[in-house]
Amino acid sequence: MSAVPMPHALRGALERFVAQRSRARHVRIADAVRLSGGAIQENWRVQAEFDGGELDGEQSLVIRTDSPSGVSMSHTRAREFALLQAAFEAGVTVPQVLWLCEDRDIIGRSFFVMRCIAGTAAAHVLTRDAAWGGDRAQLCERLGSELAHIHSIRPPRKDLGFLPACNESPAMDAVRRLRAALDRHHMPHPALEWGLRWLERHAPARGAIVLCHGDYRTGNYMVDEHGLSGILDWEFAGWGDPLQDIGWFCAKCWRFGANSNEAGGIGQRLDFYRGYERISGSPIQDSRVHYWEVMAHVSWAVIAIQQAERHLRGEESSLLLALTGHIVPELEYEVLAMTEGV
Amino acid sequence: MRGQPTGEQLLETARGLLRDELLPALPADKRHAALMIANAMAIAGRQLKNGEAHDREELAALAALLPLPPTSAGEDDPSLRTRLVAANRALCAMLRDGQADHGAMRERVLDHLRSVTRRAVEESNPKYLASKPARVNR
Repeated sequence: MSAVPMPHALRGALERFVAQRSRARHVRIADAVRLSGGAIQENWRVQAEFDGGELDGEQSLVIRTDSPSGVSMSHTRAREFALLQAAFEAGVTVPQVLWLCEDRDIIGRSFFVMRCIAGTAAAHVLTRDAAWGGDRAQLCERLGSELAHIHSIRPPRKDLGFLPACNESPAMDAVRRLRAALDRHHMPHPALEWGLRWLERHAPARGAIVLCHGDYRTGNYMVDEHGLSGILDWEFAGWGDPLQDIGWFCAKCWRFGANSNEAGGIGQRLDFYRGYERISGSPIQDSRVHYWEVMAHVSWAVIAIQQAERHLRGEESSLLLALTGHIVPELEYEVLAMTEGV
Repeated sequence: MRGQPTGEQLLETARGLLRDELLPALPADKRHAALMIANAMAIAGRQLKNGEAHDREELAALAALLPLPPTSAGEDDPSLRTRLVAANRALCAMLRDGQADHGAMRERVLDHLRSVTRRAVEESNPKYLASKPARVNR
């Protein structure tokens, strides 16, 4: 977070927009803090005083804006709004979205307004400091239930029509996509090719297709001292195999060093499974989760290679991105260890 | 001949100073950056220490494993790196083609990958090799 003041014109435009949508007589933004997260995209947390209307009183809100016009990915916010709304309606704990504005005349770019949730999402804090998140068995169970609620969203969905249809096997789709990414790279990665061949030979047939969060892991949900406050980071959501999210959550590479806590580095796998099964009504086939944990390691390795490449090409000079490239060997090592037996 | 201390020794001394004197004096929000710098220096130091030895061994192992592709025309003396990239591309093609799915070839390729990857982890994050397997009860 930084202490950038909110420009006067932006503040006035937002005050008028929120007042009109909430049918308030008047809205005053008393405090605004710019949130970290990208140079192009602007996010603000605001304290707003509503005089009358649906939200009468003081409200803590977040404004998420799109990239300015002319930059690609122009519908990012509208899509995120639709996903958050669908999740909210399916019973998932997410920040409630209030209003989407696609009229660029209001603040010069599209944006939406949602309620603010409190707590921390920092993975290194959660996996090391038990003061956050309340009882860990309960938190794991809750995260399992939340995921099952997400997976209750099934195609076809008009409101999510922007998501690419999943017509093939999600596993083989992923194998093809990852191979194509490696082929575009200037260095070969034989250990990952080994993993991809294993993933091809063991690919499960297409089963139920559900809405997958796509990045469901510790670091992407927020907790306060009592428990979960919200599921975040929906930009990788898409139609897929439900076990993909379960494998991603439990994969060793997302335990942040707390390896004996197989559920996201924060608790026990069985608690997470139990919470999921309680909502989904069917048992998780644990032997099939292993496949998606291998997939998680190969996918994260390919992403890590791409992130390091952004640094190497000078797109974004960053020691963090550079060091991300040095995670690849341990991911490869894990892929070999997980696939050598069969 | 270069004088001493070597680059590797300089990195080690500089890293010690960063860790022992600067890190404790830094505000909490700058600690992560300092730890990243210390980590980067440690990786660079281990790579300097090993030099080209691993790459040479890897190329020799690949030559024993599969027919190496001829180096591209016009290059009289391709660099070690160029030859290694070409050889690993050939290994990747072989893997994708299913030629190491079964039998003796599978075992030889797997042994090769394990040893190359292990050495890469020893340079990038040696602590990882002491970590527990992905599943405790399996």
